Amino acid sequence: MPDEASERVAGPMLVEDWDRLTFRVNREAYRSPEVFTRERVDIWLRTWLYLGHETEIPDANDFKVRTIAGRPLIFCRDSEGEVHAWLNSCPHRGTVLCRETEGSQRRFQCFYHAWTFNNDGTVAAIPDDEAYADLDALRKNMMLRSVPRLEIHEGYVFISFNPDVPPLLEHLGEAAEYMTMIEEQHASGVTTLPGVQLYSVRGNWKLAVENAMDGYHFSPTHNTFVGYLRENGFAVTDDNQYAYNLGNGHSLLVLTGHGGRISMIWEPRFGEAEKQRTEEHRAEMVERLGEKRAHYVADESHILFVFPNLLLFDIEGLSIRQIEPVAPGHTDVRAWQLVPREEDPESRALRMKTVVSFVGPGGLATPDDIEAYEAVQRGIEATRGAGELDFSDMSRGLADEVKGTQGRSIDEGAMRGFWRHWEQVLGAGLEVTGDRPASFLEGREMP
Amino acid sequence: MTQTDIRTVTRSEVEDFLYAEAEILDSWNYDGWLALFEEGARYEIPTTDYRGWSLHTGGSFVDDDYDLIQARVKRLKSRKAHAENPHSRTHRMISNVRLAPGEDDTLVVKANFIVSRARDGHFDSYMGRYEHVLVSGSDGLKFRLRRTLLVHEALQLGARLSFIL
Repeated sequence: MPDEASERVAGPMLVEDWDRLTFRVNREAYRSPEVFTRERVDIWLRTWLYLGHETEIPDANDFKVRTIAGRPLIFCRDSEGEVHAWLNSCPHRGTVLCRETEGSQRRFQCFYHAWTFNNDGTVAAIPDDEAYADLDALRKNMMLRSVPRLEIHEGYVFISFNPDVPPLLEHLGEAAEYMTMIEEQHASGVTTLPGVQLYSVRGNWKLAVENAMDGYHFSPTHNTFVGYLRENGFAVTDDNQYAYNLGNGHSLLVLTGHGGRISMIWEPRFGEAEKQRTEEHRAEMVERLGEKRAHYVADESHILFVFPNLLLFDIEGLSIRQIEPVAPGHTDVRAWQLVPREEDPESRALRMKTVVSFVGPGGLATPDDIEAYEAVQRGIEATRGAGELDFSDMSRGLADEVKGTQGRSIDEGAMRGFWRHWEQVLGAGLEVTGDRPASFLEGREMP
Repeated sequence: MTQTDIRTVTRSEVEDFLYAEAEILDSWNYDGWLALFEEGARYEIPTTDYRGWSLHTGGSFVDDDYDLIQARVKRLKSRKAHAENPHSRTHRMISNVRLAPGEDDTLVVKANFIVSRARDGHFDSYMGRYEHVLVSGSDGLKFRLRRTLLVHEALQLGARLSFIL
């Protein structure tokens, strides 16, 4: 018979030992329903969450339906062009209001009692409304329920279920700059495309975050993909690449040795025609942004994690990945390709082919990442309840934190930054032995 | 052997081709699978929100040209394709085969499929239809385009496309 104690989380979630230079994460963090519930309240209902990109709903009256933090929403642009996030639930009895996944319409009508709402949230019609005592009050009270906060940065639409959340740019901090750098890649700006990868992984959402911030796994996990790049003439390397904690749980991998960048760094598999276009575009970037800025925008690949649910892969091409936790061992993943608004059709075709050859559940690399999250989620059952054994080790490069030197991409510093932020937000329990450094490196200087 | 006129290919010949391919895939004979493609052929799996665009202009699950098909086969034959090592067990059912003449002496083949995949204690099911473009070569039918369209609203929990669908 299950007793109440077994439902409680035992012990601290993070254990730092500065004498032995170890950093360990309690595996209950990946599997405990109680942790999951606390995360819902303390993270998902409290901070900013990525909802979608403005270019998914380019025109007035466009809408997409999407579940964020378990809550079904309508992400739409009203007839005047303003972006909204409405709860996808009829204010009358709670019925799912819009049962389409996407489309364009001025009004949403609940099929149950035919209540109808304008896409700016106002009531359009309530059938036979003479039976209500105060019709004005009814129409006012029965407006669509809005997510309390919505702000947009460079086209990335964020929402918060917390009306008192600090402004978006304060939350994003340095991460905002890397989103701007993506927008600056092309004079025409960038847009999402249809062709969204929707899949679902048998693993905790934090495993997906760790994996993206973990340069250490690249060579062994993606052995076959690295082999493919090498065969095609790219000198893959992990040397001189770094992982940065950007504060507020955000983090950044800066990669220069993992592959080319379409329209910015040519590699042989992109073909000769693309070489010429790359040179022209690169020259245009210098003209538009200056030599130094163009260098940072063009010559580095970035994997940016914006706490808690957005990953931006600014690598061979551009992908947005959104993480939606469903249960401790169940995470929905959504991925959009982001492209220059104006692009040569051959470059576009190359971009689409190249990006999905790596990312997504049908690529040559992401399936091995999915295998990793799922194998961790299954494997940690072996140590359930086994005390000291039930911890995962993320100590790699911890000595750099004592010295105050920047952690490498193939160490585990970005993951530690994520976990420390997670622990602070949840108050999940941190056990420290030895002398903890007074502070940790945060942010990145771009000279 | 002389080249068969594509216009004389019968449905049962196409069915035999599709069933043979299913057997090749279910038995993990990837060299045999590659031999079913003409040079320059493509393998495509659009995403579940697909509404008819060219994969050159939108996102997808699989957008393989012939080089990538070869790279995919090479990968799947490697012990380091972790997502498929150990291999998934797959089980394919194909039906509702229809033929229509295509452009440039090709045959457009539509068929429905159910593919079940067993791995790690779970079964995933993949349902959809094929919309292939076949050509007739000196040694039988070949894929010019091998296209898999899923009817799912999203890939289900645990499902992935690390094998050939």
